[in-house]
Amino acid sequence: MIVVKDVCKRYGDFTALEDINLEFTNGLYGLLAPNGAGKTTLIKMLATLISPSSGEIQYNGENIVSMDQRYRELLGFLPQQFGFYKNYSPAQYLFYLAALKGISKQQARIKIDELLAKVALSDVKHKKMKKFSGGMIQRVGIAQALLNDPKILILDEPTAGLDPKERARFRHLLTDLARERLVIISTHIVSDIESIANEIIMIKNKRLLYKDSVEQICETLRDAVYETTVDFSQLDEFRKRFVLLSEKQEYGKMIVRFIHKGDKEEEWIPVHPQLEDVFLYEYQDEMVEGL
Amino acid sequence: MRIVLLECKKVIMSPVIIGLFLLFTAFNLLVIFNSSDHREELKIVNEIIDTYGREITPSSLELFKIDIQNDLLELEQLSGKRYDSVYDFLEGLDMEAYERYSEKEKTFISQLQLKEMYESTASSIDENYAKIDIEKFGQTSLEMYQVSGQAAKTYLAENEKFAKRFEEMIQNGEHKQWFFAGKAYMMHTFLFKNIFLQMTIEILLLVVLSTAFLATYEFEQRSHLVTFSTRRGRKLLLDKLAASLAMAVAIAALVLGSTLGVFFMVFDYSHVWETSISSAFNWEYNFPNVAWWDLSVGQFLLAVIGMLFIAILLFSGLTFAISILVKNSYITFFLVAAGFILLYMLPGFIPHSSNWVFAVGYTLPTLVMAIPGLFMGSSGLIFFKNFEWVTISAWTVFTIITLVISYRRFAKLDIQ
Repeated sequence: MIVVKDVCKRYGDFTALEDINLEFTNGLYGLLAPNGAGKTTLIKMLATLISPSSGEIQYNGENIVSMDQRYRELLGFLPQQFGFYKNYSPAQYLFYLAALKGISKQQARIKIDELLAKVALSDVKHKKMKKFSGGMIQRVGIAQALLNDPKILILDEPTAGLDPKERARFRHLLTDLARERLVIISTHIVSDIESIANEIIMIKNKRLLYKDSVEQICETLRDAVYETTVDFSQLDEFRKRFVLLSEKQEYGKMIVRFIHKGDKEEEWIPVHPQLEDVFLYEYQDEMVEGL
Repeated sequence: MRIVLLECKKVIMSPVIIGLFLLFTAFNLLVIFNSSDHREELKIVNEIIDTYGREITPSSLELFKIDIQNDLLELEQLSGKRYDSVYDFLEGLDMEAYERYSEKEKTFISQLQLKEMYESTASSIDENYAKIDIEKFGQTSLEMYQVSGQAAKTYLAENEKFAKRFEEMIQNGEHKQWFFAGKAYMMHTFLFKNIFLQMTIEILLLVVLSTAFLATYEFEQRSHLVTFSTRRGRKLLLDKLAASLAMAVAIAALVLGSTLGVFFMVFDYSHVWETSISSAFNWEYNFPNVAWWDLSVGQFLLAVIGMLFIAILLFSGLTFAISILVKNSYITFFLVAAGFILLYMLPGFIPHSSNWVFAVGYTLPTLVMAIPGLFMGSSGLIFFKNFEWVTISAWTVFTIITLVISYRRFAKLDIQ
């Protein structure tokens, strides 16, 4: 079990994360927040690439920095920007990483074949990676993260560059993997994790906002999400009054999905809140700033 | 070990390193072959050593003179006239007359000419060495280098020690051994200055490039987040350091091996390996080469190669430390180059009245640029007997400390 205890991360005057407390057991955790919210900072701390300014991260009661190699041999990590050796083939690159992960040559060869088949790259096993598409590179990244059969699998924006078919295949793979290990996925794409995560972690204003199941998080907007039809002429006024979650044009009118906490109007249809609704609602300010 | 080998493979697969190595080797071979026109003439020394022994004794020199007289008799039969020296014969000979001789006769004349040159030099050794006044030589050097004050005192004190060594060398008869005529062929300068300096610069370029390449590889390929989060973690740097040092040794061995291999195939040193490096025949400029120790040509060559290997390893270590800091191979390369030039030029900025003028010369750049003068008491401001071992020891300690500090810093550094 991983426990994040009172973790803060500061870079000079800038605070990236503040007072983070989390517990991870086996299963799939989705770390959901917009870009720049501190997801990657937390992920890098979990991968021992950066150290907390205060607080600590423990694995089974022991500080992960003190555990050093013993912790990292349990770890599989795919960073957001997966760097690779352009002039190496996937087999050569994975063979090198297998050495860094302490896997014997013989075991590595078997494991590499198995993983490249799993990510559908067997055909290009010996081709130089400089000719690979973004999706293919990302699949090599996923394969390397699984090389040492990790007990802790941390994936930072793993679906970047994957097409819809690859995303679906990847979700199935993750569901399988999460049965017997801890999988943490950092993403800003709700659909990547909504259906597969056991728990969602959301960070806002550098602090932990939610750590709960999708259902429980959606409960926070119970009886607050509605759909209704508005005329185009009224749309601007509507946008000012309510938090709009989505807009859809139909038969010359706009069907809008929005949030309102208070008395409902007659023509509004209450709908069941989705994780995306919570995401859009909670990060509305950051998203406007982002625009 | 497996990781170290895989790291080495990155250098071996680098087209830049391979391309430069091939280019440098080709250039070295070109320089050797371009300067090989006198290679046949050098072989006379091997014959002399075979016939009269390596050491020049009065009896062996007498034998040599008798043989030259016999050759002059043979020349008389050829030319029909008695000459006291082959040079007298050549002086009165025009090209047309010379061309009338057969190839065999021409070779005989040429060999006799060489024998007379060597005999003449050997006969005048005592006379020439008697003229050498080390004290006066020290004073002249002080004026030449404009050294004064405390520095002059230090210089003269060392010069006194060198005077004793010079006497000891004369007593040992180290100077009375056959070697290629220095003033005619300058083989010491050619090998240890031209060829070695060329090889040193080439090795340094390749080693600095390969070390910076390996140390910064993960950052430049943006694979650092993957590699440093593996089981090996930041200790990967230790493997990279081991690989850098191994590649430095391999590069130095390959450049030295290929170039010196060809050099000694072109120039036959087989009979002079045991000749003293302080031989009077190794006198090329105003002052003879006199080593602080009784070193043979072979021992001197091995010692120089040893020094070069150690210096190259230290350069690799220092480059590695800088690479960890700046994480960019190009910046590292330019920083090392700038540091090298600055350290080499540093004595020029120090007042020549202070002992610092000598102290700042105890640097790796000065050491590798002064290869022909290493272990010599006749090598200018770095003629100190302790120059080599103090420089190597001090810079070894400095390099180890720098590496430890860099590694410890990196071990705690956030990897972004």
